[in-house]
Amino acid sequence: MVTELQIPPLLTRVVLAASLLSTAILVGCDSKSQVAAEPEPVGGPTVMRRLTESQYRATIADIFGADIPVVARFERGLRAEGLLAIGTGESGMSPFSIEQYDAAARSVATAAVSPGKRAVLLPCQPQDDQIFDAGCAERIVSDYGLRLFRRPLSSAEQDQFVATVQQASEQLHDFYAGVKHALVGMLMSPDFLLRIERSTAGESDTDGELQKLDAWSKASRLSYFLTNSTPDVELLRAAAAGELDSEDGLQRQVERLIRSPRFEAAVRAFFEDMLQYERFADLAKDPSIYPAFNSQVAADAREQTLRTVVDHLIARQGDYRDLFTTRKTFLTRSLGIVYRLPVVTRNGWEETQYPPDSHRVGIQSNIDFLALHSHPGRSSPTLRGEALREIFLCQEVPDPPANVNFAVVQDPSNQSMPTARDRLTAHRTEPSCAGCHKIMDPVGLTLENYDGLGSYRTHENGALIDSSGSLDGPDFNDVDGLAQALHDHPETPRCVVEKMYRFAVGRDTVWDERAYMDYLIHRFVDVGYRIPELMQTIALSKNFFAINPDSGHGVTNKHASAATEKEVRL
Amino acid sequence: MKTAHINSKPARVRATLAGLALVSTAWLVQAEPSGQQASQLAVYQGKAGFVVTSFAYSLGPDAEDTGACADGMSKNLAEIYALKPAGRQQQGESDAAYTERVSKAVAVLATLPNGDNVCLHPESAPVDPYFRTLTRTDVPVAGIDLDGVGADSGQYPVDDFTSADGTRGIDNQFYRVVGCSRSFQSNGPSNIFGTEMLTGAWGILVTLEGIDDLRNDDEVQVGIYANADPIQLSTRREPLAYGTYAMDQDPRFRAQTRGYIRDGVLYTEPVDVRFHSIVNSLRLERPLRRARLQVTLNDEAGLEGFLAGYTPVDAMYDMQYGYRSGRGGDGELGPLRRRLGTANGAAFVLGHTCNGAWQALHRLADGDCDESGGECQSISTQYRLQAIPAFVVDAATASSNAALEKSERVDGY
Repeated sequence: MVTELQIPPLLTRVVLAASLLSTAILVGCDSKSQVAAEPEPVGGPTVMRRLTESQYRATIADIFGADIPVVARFERGLRAEGLLAIGTGESGMSPFSIEQYDAAARSVATAAVSPGKRAVLLPCQPQDDQIFDAGCAERIVSDYGLRLFRRPLSSAEQDQFVATVQQASEQLHDFYAGVKHALVGMLMSPDFLLRIERSTAGESDTDGELQKLDAWSKASRLSYFLTNSTPDVELLRAAAAGELDSEDGLQRQVERLIRSPRFEAAVRAFFEDMLQYERFADLAKDPSIYPAFNSQVAADAREQTLRTVVDHLIARQGDYRDLFTTRKTFLTRSLGIVYRLPVVTRNGWEETQYPPDSHRVGIQSNIDFLALHSHPGRSSPTLRGEALREIFLCQEVPDPPANVNFAVVQDPSNQSMPTARDRLTAHRTEPSCAGCHKIMDPVGLTLENYDGLGSYRTHENGALIDSSGSLDGPDFNDVDGLAQALHDHPETPRCVVEKMYRFAVGRDTVWDERAYMDYLIHRFVDVGYRIPELMQTIALSKNFFAINPDSGHGVTNKHASAATEKEVRL
Repeated sequence: MKTAHINSKPARVRATLAGLALVSTAWLVQAEPSGQQASQLAVYQGKAGFVVTSFAYSLGPDAEDTGACADGMSKNLAEIYALKPAGRQQQGESDAAYTERVSKAVAVLATLPNGDNVCLHPESAPVDPYFRTLTRTDVPVAGIDLDGVGADSGQYPVDDFTSADGTRGIDNQFYRVVGCSRSFQSNGPSNIFGTEMLTGAWGILVTLEGIDDLRNDDEVQVGIYANADPIQLSTRREPLAYGTYAMDQDPRFRAQTRGYIRDGVLYTEPVDVRFHSIVNSLRLERPLRRARLQVTLNDEAGLEGFLAGYTPVDAMYDMQYGYRSGRGGDGELGPLRRRLGTANGAAFVLGHTCNGAWQALHRLADGDCDESGGECQSISTQYRLQAIPAFVVDAATASSNAALEKSERVDGY
């Protein structure tokens, strides 16, 4: 459990030094940079990634229809290297998960072969419902095999699932029951539940020892990256036709997917992951302290920031950094109570602006961030400071030592130390605490004008709150200053670029990819810090599909930024 | 101060509202700037808004404590029937048989010779000699001197009350009507009708505009509206401050008047107001003629005090006793079965007769009187209220359930 964090003094210097180094790198490219060509691809391992809940549900909806029920509770995702997307390649499957996948598969298959759906969803009907129809079974298995496995079935797989249809049909005297059992089998198969990537040998000398993803794996990687769902019929067609192996063919598909309405789901999925929204499942607030908090407020708070992100980044093609300074937002009446702002619209969302003197600017002043990174009964400058650095700047803060006494900071009723700043100042007198708190607190204390839910306040325990702070250089006195500092921080664009790439490939970056990362960052600067262009750059890059069979499988701790830190330490 | 909006103040005046913050169309104002965190007014388009969270008749102490009902409390028809020898349970008569006999007798007593129900036509019913009203004047009741007559004029009306803090001339004839009814004692169910407000069935909004000084201001504009939105509550069922509410779109449920602030107390000029009231899914109206607000701006930037005026007798009878004008969700007169069932059921449970209540209301009415000294048409009524900061907007917004609305008319009569 993270409460108030500490960091050894040496590592503190390392983190800060690394930050300064990164700053120097980006300062040089912040103006319109010369767009360098993509460096020679480095490649990483193939990965085997479990579908996330949102991907599972979207996949089922895309294949069977949005009204097909998925009756199951999904296991919590594993966050690794800062992203659930990376954890999908590391987590195992518990017996509970298998049970739930089974339940989901049965609910989907039952609905798909139901009398009301079979004529629409199945490509053929048997002559007699009670008799096995080999031709129809082969077609159903072939069609759904391609959609569910995201590749054509092998002949052995085809035969296996057709045999399943036949055996169940004959035993149950019901062709559709046979189809249902085959569908359940496919839906329970690792080839459906996991995105298993396969590589082929490189085709050119310049690839050296590198390999490429095969066309079907490319289609899957593209589709889940750009739509957070399974490849659609057109993408599968392009894969089958070999079009994804040509630059033109790939570009056509990437542009098509980015232009499609489904692209929003991908942007949402990335920011849900980046902003650690799985924590909403555990979010609780003391109702006696924060009476305005309820499940609707929590749901709306999450949606508020996602709407802002989608509107700014997709609809308006905005600069990513402006997310930290924008006053445009979306509110519901439930949220209006917490923000103490009027919301005329009775039901649903209202597009609005934070008033200039409302002490709100940027998504970091939204209550989703403020409430998620607080305690149930009080705010936490340390948690907020840690979250700001880790989420938006990719700066890692070590866990606290096990023997820290948190008594002072956990007692907000201490009249001699009425504000969090007072309590943290006392806490930092312990040398082992001071290092990390110097990193987290100055930025977190600026958010102390928001209570543990995120409502604005001027006092704590009767004492005026001092919200002055700093972030790697700039000093400020309020959230407007913090917003500008986040906007201008050189790590802000670098962090989102790095996270986006890691999200796309489902693994941590490796040291040899640092030139590629620099390429992505330069491109990001050149396109005005626009996220859709960044995603397009990644999707069209050779490195995105390059596979280095020597890089091993899974996650390595030697990622680009970590290696930079090690270099500094040495 | 004659300016229409807070945000149109000249700079000098604005400075007197320390802590006032202009935030586009929405303002948050510190009510009590001090070393502590100040509560904030909720201001939208220059108007400070409030949603009423507590609303009940201002009544005096229980009769049991004052001895003000020396002749006992009012009775329902079953109790009246039981007063007669024939109405008592006979020796050997089973409880079930007696109950059935009482029910039949009550049904007879509740029916006029022409077959009409008494609750529907109380004007045609005989006098109820068992309906008790409060006649004493020495019972303390808080409220407002509505007619301004008598407090210090030497012509102190015999029926006015004096509050516990010494305020004289308080007009509250409705209290006299219900003072000896058991359902209006502090543990009775009739004065907690505000519960329906917390379920979202109805509500009240107040706006203040043109304030220069929260402590003393010679002129402010005051709006009193029916709330078109359900009140927002916490998970503990407590009203939440700073919600947004739309005023009713029906002009009959909107009222504006002027007022002034003295030592932090807002006094308004008389204005006719009208609110909604819902009983047993019957939609009724709660009008108040020549209503005055006398409320204090409290430390939580809310209001607390009185709203008092004169309720038309027929309207008071309908919303408290007879429900004759109750309407369904479709706006049409509600099913007769429900209206009669509600009125007769309420009379039995709450301990009164419809005709007794109707007669008492008319007898004690003190407003809108015939110039010749004849019958009065309205009765002085005092409400206590509390309100918290809320953004009050004027917007026609549809209910999320609008598509589900349907007629519930099932008229069995």
